[in-house]
Amino acid sequence: MMKKRGNPNGWKIALFLAPVLLLFGAFFLYPIIFTAWTSLMKWRGIGTMSFNWFQNYAKLLSDETFRLSIRNNVIWALALGFIQVPLAALAALILARGPRGWRLLRTLYYLPNVISTVALAMVWVAMYNAQYGAINGILKAFGLQGRNWLGDPSTALAAIAGQSVLYIGYFMIVILAGAMNIPLELYEAAKIDGANVLQEEMRITLPMLRGTLVTSVTLAMAYGMRHFEATFLMTGGGPAYASSTMGIALFLKMDALRYGEASAAGMILILLGTLVIVLIRRLLGRDDPMSGTTG
Amino acid sequence: MTVKASSRVIAIAVLALLLVPSFMSAQTKELVLKWPCIWVGKDSKAPAITEIVDAFNAANAGKIKVEIEPQPDYNAYEQKVRTSIAAGQAPGSIFTVKLNATTKEFYNSNLLMDFSADLVGVWKASFDSNAVAQSTINKKLKTLPFETGVLPIWYNTDMLKKAGVTSIPTTPNEFWAAMDKLKASGVYPMSQMSGDTNAWTSMIWFSHFAVSFGGADVWSKPFTDKAFVESAKLMKRIFETYTTPDAVGAGAGVSGGHFLAGRTALFSNGPWYAGRADLRATPFFNTIVIALPPSMGPNKGISVSRLQANIAAGETTDKALRTAIIAFLQYLTSTDNIRKLAASSGAMFAVNSGYIPLDPLQKQFYDLVASSKTTANDLEVALGAEATLEFAQQLGALALSKVTPEEFCALVEKRIDR
Repeated sequence: MMKKRGNPNGWKIALFLAPVLLLFGAFFLYPIIFTAWTSLMKWRGIGTMSFNWFQNYAKLLSDETFRLSIRNNVIWALALGFIQVPLAALAALILARGPRGWRLLRTLYYLPNVISTVALAMVWVAMYNAQYGAINGILKAFGLQGRNWLGDPSTALAAIAGQSVLYIGYFMIVILAGAMNIPLELYEAAKIDGANVLQEEMRITLPMLRGTLVTSVTLAMAYGMRHFEATFLMTGGGPAYASSTMGIALFLKMDALRYGEASAAGMILILLGTLVIVLIRRLLGRDDPMSGTTG
Repeated sequence: MTVKASSRVIAIAVLALLLVPSFMSAQTKELVLKWPCIWVGKDSKAPAITEIVDAFNAANAGKIKVEIEPQPDYNAYEQKVRTSIAAGQAPGSIFTVKLNATTKEFYNSNLLMDFSADLVGVWKASFDSNAVAQSTINKKLKTLPFETGVLPIWYNTDMLKKAGVTSIPTTPNEFWAAMDKLKASGVYPMSQMSGDTNAWTSMIWFSHFAVSFGGADVWSKPFTDKAFVESAKLMKRIFETYTTPDAVGAGAGVSGGHFLAGRTALFSNGPWYAGRADLRATPFFNTIVIALPPSMGPNKGISVSRLQANIAAGETTDKALRTAIIAFLQYLTSTDNIRKLAASSGAMFAVNSGYIPLDPLQKQFYDLVASSKTTANDLEVALGAEATLEFAQQLGALALSKVTPEEFCALVEKRIDR
């Protein structure tokens, strides 16, 4: 019987992979396992843990405010995936045509992405202020009634999401890079066949960018499912939990020293986020004409 | 000497040269006490704390050094403390804790130094005995009471006079009449807020109402008790009629900002606010009057107060480090330094320093404490973080009539850890 020959360079491969695997284990696997473990525990962050089975999960899922947080995260995911990314794509397609000043516009669109989220949130809190904010000032100038955008449960979530979807810079750059890599010959051939700009975009650009767009939507929806910063800074999840997200619920559970429930919230966030991503990949597919691969 | 022998000598000499400084530094190693400190920047205690720490460091140069790690965001600092302790690490050699129904859980941690054996004799006698008793849980003294605060109402009497209110209201009827006059004069009568994690300003108002309806021990009653429902009705009325349009969702900065800018006539906060430079720069500073609100219920003259900050230290088996920590804390809480802190910041302390304020505004706080026969905790201290957060979150809903006062109280009751 012949002996199986191993890869003679196997030890070298293992050696090169070891650091990244160690980091992966330490900063990803271990925290997930620890979180999953503590989600089954009654634990105040201090002292001993006691096994609680799935009571933390039951408590969270029966809590109306947590269910509201889940709903809000889904809204965030849809807003970022199906408003922000299409807006970014629209901007990218226009800029890819090379209009006058497109480089300056590209920089301006991306600028908010290099500014701290905290600074942006504080600016928007001031702009949304019911008495002195710029938005109500503009509305009043047109004879319209201002409102307490961040203090009204019916507008708080929309107000925060509305300003976030405008930050299209990141996805615009990604889609623009993809658009500029599409061979020009395709457009030349299309022009010869009499295609107009809209037909070129619909029949050439978008199909060629399918993979990039699907990835962008997936990433945007993932950001939406784990959204935390802007809401925490602008409303703290209020008023009356109207703008709360799972990240905020998790954070507030830690505030109350309910670490077992916080871990359960974290696990629900991970599971739901994974589910959303898997669903969206299945729905939108991963066909990428440029690479010749299908998924 | 052969080459081999001389090489050995050189090697030993080099080794000795490398080791001796390490040995010397180990002998004279300066003990560094890290203090993540919130009393920095704009905080009224920042200048005095800096001076005290610098003086201590100068007096103990080469032996002990206290290093302040600035923590200007109070909420973020509290997160840091909770997260550090949960992660099994003391936030610093020295740190402060707001002792309440939630944070008393920290006493179950082995990370905090127990001062029971250290707070003795003259040092113990310098502390307010009630404050020490409040800070002792299951016979352990894991935090030292430091800053205290009565939480009265601040009246801008300049604005009151302009609205035709000539005296501080002492009855409910006088109070509502004054609020109506202020409103009629074109100003917003009160600063209120439902934002941040504790709706601070409004939480104080609610606490006053609750103790006046239910007595000093109202917090032991279910939150669905009539005392709390009546208090909720008053808060709803205030939010609907007597405060700024941005009160729902507003944070402490907005609430305080309205008062500082002279847009509201009534405000609530503790004595530490009195030392703020921006307050002292206001044109109405000298007209501020501190008083309890009129008792809306049958229980009168109860002042709401709290231990605002307790000092904790990270437990250590290093005797030298422990001695250094105790030495600094004894220095920090010495009567001279407490007087310095009180005089410059307006804050009040659990140490009996004999300080008699010359500043009229500070004196009002001391007079109020002296005249208060009964004190009660506020909502946050009594009920803890989760209930307080629910209070803040639902206060906006109450103000906007999304929930009734009864529903509001029922929602908060669900979050109380009894």
